[in-house]
Amino acid sequence: MKLGFLVDLSRCMGCMACAVSCKAENDVPLHSWRLRVKYIDQGEFPEVKRHFVPLRCNHCENAPCERICPVSALHYLPNGIVNVDHNRCIGCASCMMACPYNAIYIDPITNSADKCTYCAHRIEVGMMPACVVACPTHANIFGDLDDPESEISKYLKEHKDIMVRKPELNTKPKHFYVRGSTVDLDPLSSERPEGYTLFTEVKFLDHIGGH
Amino acid sequence: MLGSEVTFDVALPKVVWGWLVSTNMWAKSIATGSFLLGLYFIKKYPEKDAFFRKWVPILGLIFIGITLLVTVLDLHHMFRFWKIFVFAHFTSAVTLGAWVVSGFVVVLLISFWSWITGNKKLFDKVMIPGFLLAFFSTIYTAGIMGEATARELWVFPAEMIQMLLSATLAGSAVYLLIMTIYKVEMEEVKRELGYILIGSAFLSGMMYLGEILFARMHSEFSHRAVEILTFGSLAPMFWLGVFLTFIIPTILVGIANEKKKYEYALLGSISALIGLWFVKHSWLLAPQMLPLS
Repeated sequence: MKLGFLVDLSRCMGCMACAVSCKAENDVPLHSWRLRVKYIDQGEFPEVKRHFVPLRCNHCENAPCERICPVSALHYLPNGIVNVDHNRCIGCASCMMACPYNAIYIDPITNSADKCTYCAHRIEVGMMPACVVACPTHANIFGDLDDPESEISKYLKEHKDIMVRKPELNTKPKHFYVRGSTVDLDPLSSERPEGYTLFTEVKFLDHIGGH
Repeated sequence: MLGSEVTFDVALPKVVWGWLVSTNMWAKSIATGSFLLGLYFIKKYPEKDAFFRKWVPILGLIFIGITLLVTVLDLHHMFRFWKIFVFAHFTSAVTLGAWVVSGFVVVLLISFWSWITGNKKLFDKVMIPGFLLAFFSTIYTAGIMGEATARELWVFPAEMIQMLLSATLAGSAVYLLIMTIYKVEMEEVKRELGYILIGSAFLSGMMYLGEILFARMHSEFSHRAVEILTFGSLAPMFWLGVFLTFIIPTILVGIANEKKKYEYALLGSISALIGLWFVKHSWLLAPQMLPLS
């Protein structure tokens, strides 16, 4: 079993039900988030469009946080979830430095690293993650990637526009997005230097957009 | 439709690794650099080894002590630091570093005991493992930086050489400082230390410039981080650091060596040690100034 997550961005309406249910389910303190919804506005009035992108831990198959954690507080579960052991964490914040998705925070109450665990405690008893249950448009799709009959596997088979965040880092995220764009997932990518060095002229690629 | 802007994102950029981590790297450079150079001078000038046999353990223990203190203080669970030894995860450069530095502390304690008791042979026995442990204590931070995938500026391959050059620069500066303060009459050694300091400063400065000007920046993120460092909010600290670490010491220590006026070396050494902290701190902060989403 390899669990994965998929967000159909065309269905997300930015209601934040997922973020709120996540906070309630997991006792996430104020100013900290396991799941957050980012807003990106694109275009000029009156041709303006708002995109919503739910962001959570990507449960990478090649997780930099698991590799850098000196005490294995961040570890894999057999179902592919990258879990956190709060009692083992020494609070060095190396995982925060390694996670390219800004998905990890130091819980101000427990002083330990924390992040989305795909609600591992709920999955253990056969329940869905809290954010999946709370989503009114069923934009969050969760399931077993190894099972060809699961909804997520069917979704991944049917859609050609599957995206992950920062694929170039080769972390192999198990969190997918469909019907999104580069602007949604990585706003910095809408502006790319034509070349590599500091003094290379920066050009804006019209078909993607620019800041 | 052109133009896009993030209008709401709660994950604001925040510095997580701050001055305690910069101080860790700075103090470690002095501890390992003074050890490595101490070994070199003990081997090269065995007739004048008393100075180094005394100061190698003293400097090493003081500065590795500062390194360990700030490391533990920086932990959100400082009283759990021992877990790094009982639940060691050896894919982590943090773990490897903790083990290597612990071994280095043991070598420093042996060298201290050797100086106290006058048993030179005891220290001679741990010189080779001591060299290896000091070397790896210096470079393991580059390993941590390399594993910090999210902060691409740190992942430059030159980081390891920078750590070694920082060690030789800091080690030579601190010895020149002590020799001038205590008026140690070893002109040959002072001159050689001066050349090591100038050489380290020149190479390190060139490498920083090379990294900034010519390094292949694979992502927009590292491009922006370098911009912040060189032209943005961190530029005053970074360029002040470059000036104090690489330019001032090269001039002053150069004068000291040419005209045999070692009070210039004192000023150059102080400048190098202060500047090194600024350079390390600004390099540490730059990639943390950017949001990752």
